[in-house]
Amino acid sequence: MAISCSTQSGIAWVTLGNRRAGNALDDRQAAALHDTCRRIIEDDAVRVAVFTGAGAVFCSPPPGIRARPAAEAIAAIVKPTIAALNGDATGPGLELALACDIRLAARGSRLAMDQVTRGEMPSDGGTQRLPRLIARSYAADMLLTGRRLTAAEAQRIGLVTEVTAAAQLQARTRALAQALAAMAPIAARYVKEAIREGMETTLAQGLRLEADLAVLLHTTKDRAEGISSFLERREPRFTGS
Amino acid sequence: MTTAGFDTILYERRGAVAWVTLNRPKALNAYNVQMRDDLYATLELIATDDAVGVAVFRGAGERAFCAGADLTEFGSAPSQAIARQVRFERDVWARLLGMEKPLIAAIHGFCLGSGLEIALCCDLRIAAPDAVFGLPETQLGMIPAAGGTQTMPRMIGQARALEAMLTGRRMDAREALAGGIVTRVARRGGVFSTAERIAQRMAAMNPETMRSVKAAVYRGLEQPLAQGLAMEQALAARLVAASDAARRGGIG
Repeated sequence: MAISCSTQSGIAWVTLGNRRAGNALDDRQAAALHDTCRRIIEDDAVRVAVFTGAGAVFCSPPPGIRARPAAEAIAAIVKPTIAALNGDATGPGLELALACDIRLAARGSRLAMDQVTRGEMPSDGGTQRLPRLIARSYAADMLLTGRRLTAAEAQRIGLVTEVTAAAQLQARTRALAQALAAMAPIAARYVKEAIREGMETTLAQGLRLEADLAVLLHTTKDRAEGISSFLERREPRFTGS
Repeated sequence: MTTAGFDTILYERRGAVAWVTLNRPKALNAYNVQMRDDLYATLELIATDDAVGVAVFRGAGERAFCAGADLTEFGSAPSQAIARQVRFERDVWARLLGMEKPLIAAIHGFCLGSGLEIALCCDLRIAAPDAVFGLPETQLGMIPAAGGTQTMPRMIGQARALEAMLTGRRMDAREALAGGIVTRVARRGGVFSTAERIAQRMAAMNPETMRSVKAAVYRGLEQPLAQGLAMEQALAARLVAASDAARRGGIG
């Protein structure tokens, strides 16, 4: 089973499992990941998706292995997504992680955009997503030199949010996913849309998008619940409506 | 020294530095409809008073810069259509972001929600060691709506901005510094004096130069690089021409 997906308490856990190829996706697995992402989008019970790797790597194709692209499938998920980097994420493997909203890494994992060292270049969105996610100076360094970053270095430049001991990664990821799953789903979706779409346009247009989405949220039950729960000093109960 | 009194804002000009104090300390300076109107009027004063070179924003009292929007007033708009109309008619955020003079946020205590969004509309953010940052809106079924979804990723990058807004978690001054939300952390008790010193230094520079730098950076980022570079050239040439004219004793 190369791509597995199990859903518990609103969290879809997707595991890349092509161990002989460093969890790189072949044609069949890329198609399976597309299907999985489509189901995550359509299933209202899923609030958050987590992507991780089986074994000791996240996704780190060895030389000679041509990984199939799939980052667009992950990026198309309108719900919050997390990459739990249980081990190395390099080349096309890091490109998959960049399509997620938040990245956590196990200590000891290494991150690199190293296609250039093999005479290739990123072709699953890496040249576009990396400089959008972190400062352009760091992105250029990674893309042009292909150098490997430790998890701690990746955290320092903002590429991963948190570094944990390998044994703690799953628990920390679950805690984060649970926190995200507890949020009002429509608000989470709109934040993601406002940030992503807003960055592709001028500030003035982005501000209009934000204002329109905020006013649209006025029509949701969850926003009213959020305000009353705050004023009544209790935990909100969001229904996604 | 010039002062102006509003219900929720203290405005004081000392020399070329305008101090804008969010002044609802009992409510942790929470942003409400009155503060929106007062802030809008204050920005008009700053923009039109030639004696003002730089403006500094801060919070009154011990505990907060601004703890966010006053939720007790939420839901007071008669309809979504009216809410949207008012939002654009009295667009404080576009006004702040369009200010030509340098703006500094001197932040102590809670700086949450709209409070952080006000700070993100400024050019420089300086934190006291006790400052606490966060955009908790999604936890309440809302999204940041004072520009935060646009200003934060532009200031600190999408990766950190997405994480901050999707989780809504709080960050201390040290983390805010590491993530680029603030560029300086002052020593304990020194955030206002640090802001004063930086404001004085900027206010002593040629105002046209400050305006040009702001325009080049912010407008340049909205354009393809080649256009940004051409704009930089044009702005720089205009500054040189003006200073030549001044040396000749004429007017540019």
